[in-house]
Amino acid sequence: MSFSFGTARLFRLEVRRSALPWLLPVVAILFWLIVYRRSDLFPPVWSIRARAMQTATVSVFLPIVVGAAAWMGGREARHGLTDLLASTVRSRWYRQVALWAATTAWSAVAYAVCVGALYVAIGRQASWGGPLWWPVAVGAACLPVFTALGLAAGGLLPGRFTAPLVSVAAFFALETSAQLIHGDHSPWQISPLVAGPWNGGADQDLATFYPYLSDLPRVQIAFLAGIAVVLVAALGLPATAGSRRQRLAAAALTIAGLATATTAAALAGTGRLDPHGMIAIPAVHDAAADRPVPFTPVCSAAAVPVCLHPAYAYELATVDAALRPVLDQLAGVPGAPVRVSQGAVRYSSDDGGGIGARLDGRQPGGDSPEFRMVLPNQLPGPPLNAENLAAAVRAMTARDIVMAVVCGGREVTDAQEAVIGALTGDPHAPPGSPVAQAAQRFATLPAADRHAWLVRNAAGLRTGGITLEQLP
Amino acid sequence: MNVEAADLTRRLGRTQAVAGVTLTVDRGVYGLLGPNGAGKTSLLRMLATVLAPSSGRLRLLDGDPGDHRQCKAIRRRLGYLPQNPGYYPRFTVVDFVEYFALLKEIPAARVPRAVAAAVERVGLGDKATARLRTLSGGMLRRVGIAQAIVNDPDLLLLDEPTAGLDPEQRVAFRALLRDLGQTATVIVSTHLVEDVGAACTQVGLMDQGRIVFSGTPDELTRRGEGTDAAGDAPLERGYSAVLTEARA
Repeated sequence: MSFSFGTARLFRLEVRRSALPWLLPVVAILFWLIVYRRSDLFPPVWSIRARAMQTATVSVFLPIVVGAAAWMGGREARHGLTDLLASTVRSRWYRQVALWAATTAWSAVAYAVCVGALYVAIGRQASWGGPLWWPVAVGAACLPVFTALGLAAGGLLPGRFTAPLVSVAAFFALETSAQLIHGDHSPWQISPLVAGPWNGGADQDLATFYPYLSDLPRVQIAFLAGIAVVLVAALGLPATAGSRRQRLAAAALTIAGLATATTAAALAGTGRLDPHGMIAIPAVHDAAADRPVPFTPVCSAAAVPVCLHPAYAYELATVDAALRPVLDQLAGVPGAPVRVSQGAVRYSSDDGGGIGARLDGRQPGGDSPEFRMVLPNQLPGPPLNAENLAAAVRAMTARDIVMAVVCGGREVTDAQEAVIGALTGDPHAPPGSPVAQAAQRFATLPAADRHAWLVRNAAGLRTGGITLEQLP
Repeated sequence: MNVEAADLTRRLGRTQAVAGVTLTVDRGVYGLLGPNGAGKTSLLRMLATVLAPSSGRLRLLDGDPGDHRQCKAIRRRLGYLPQNPGYYPRFTVVDFVEYFALLKEIPAARVPRAVAAAVERVGLGDKATARLRTLSGGMLRRVGIAQAIVNDPDLLLLDEPTAGLDPEQRVAFRALLRDLGQTATVIVSTHLVEDVGAACTQVGLMDQGRIVFSGTPDELTRRGEGTDAAGDAPLERGYSAVLTEARA
């Protein structure tokens, strides 16, 4: 009983006198600058922001926590207490483990506060879903590794410059680890910076239509736990660290940690890009996670409503405004959609390590009442602001909708191209060409006449039975 | 006997720091005198179980420090103040002494009382919550002594404990030594022969890794009588006479 109380008192003492709290303001400032403010640049969608948080937070915490731990780890030799402490009953390993636990506890508190604040902010902005905890767990699992790494370095080289040097070295090592990733089969995906397919960028729309796959995070956490055990156990290996029994236990733990970390890295190397955009690892994959997440779409109030996934509710007004001119002209036209709905993205990896993305499933053809679309912000690449989003929707989605009505999937005739150009206001034909002239002529018709003509001739236009000259 | 050493040697690199020390010490205050480099600190480090002997036999508090289990038992009953004890600047006096109390496996429930008693005993009660970085050298020395006595040791090893103490503190410290010597074995390594005269019941004089004199302070004083040995006080003359004789 007294053992555990004594250990608890020692832990409390180390917590009270830790150097890490002095660095917490630095952590807070860096987190605010690098993670919190940057988070606002992403769409308020949990999956996007949570994954960006994981990558950025690990980078912010690494140098500070490693540096502080290295400073603490070298304190016995730096302050000339080696002899005095060696004459006490408790082993050096015991003291280092207490110090490790206290430093980890402080870093965990800082991490919880920072991530908590960010998640509250995301929660206020996100229109659908709840917090994703796997990215938080991966970031948290890094902390014991960072502190153990710092303590090991500080204990080994107890100099004044060890802390800054080891923190810079650790930062570069971590960043380099992610740069070595090539494709979805890379074992380097084990890097805690990775929160999805690395080559596709950090901004894809994952885990919205389908659950967040925990395959990679689970393997990463196992890897980090293994590395933490290796580093903490390695502190107990030197002859001066403790008794023979303790050193044997430390050796056994080191081997177990190494085996865990190696296995986890090997598993990460068996990963593949899931059709829904995440990394699936067959050995730990749960097939239940492949089922789509049920949701009720949010729709605009119009004759032809635009319906989006509720996570994208913030884009509804922009998308609806961008599509409305086209949809109003097509309302009631035979073959025109009665609803435009957002679909999920299907991802695929190519041989070059890149990622392809397209609409999941096929576009309903023929007289289907629904047109399915993918928003630009669902695709790999930087997020678009409202203005650019509207432009992209007008250029791509509006054209696709008109094409679906007037072309029916066949090769586009001149007449069809002219109608598409007239309805979208974006003629692809060269200026002055007969197609461009026909498009301009058709576009200048009164809206009611144009609509009436379309209602009468949509079927013929779709089958290619109407020529350019027959256009009014 | 609390300390039994026979033919104890310790080589540090190419230097024979301790060259065959045979020593038995029981309860009381034992002063270890000697010039710089005589091997006092190396001997004390071996007695503190910090440094393993190169050869010879050593038993402390009826245990073998070479055996891990017995070594732990010895360390529970050991107090040690090195020549240059470090400190953690951000710790308070109480924190620092408590830290060592916990590392000496004092039962947690007894720790606060033991710490308070040790801090009071060295006269730092009014500085208990002061950070160590704010204390003077003499006060830090007393903090070091407090951590050494926090576990009521049966064997207390003090290496130059009065260095940095002002005369008033030294007088108080000698009284503390005499008090501690009533119940424990106290070995004090020092350059200051007046400390030995005032507080020690036994004295050993080391030179070139060997103990060249062992006896009472009075016996050491007598060795200087009738000689032209250097020294301002009788004990100093005894010290000088023994050294001259040993080197001859």
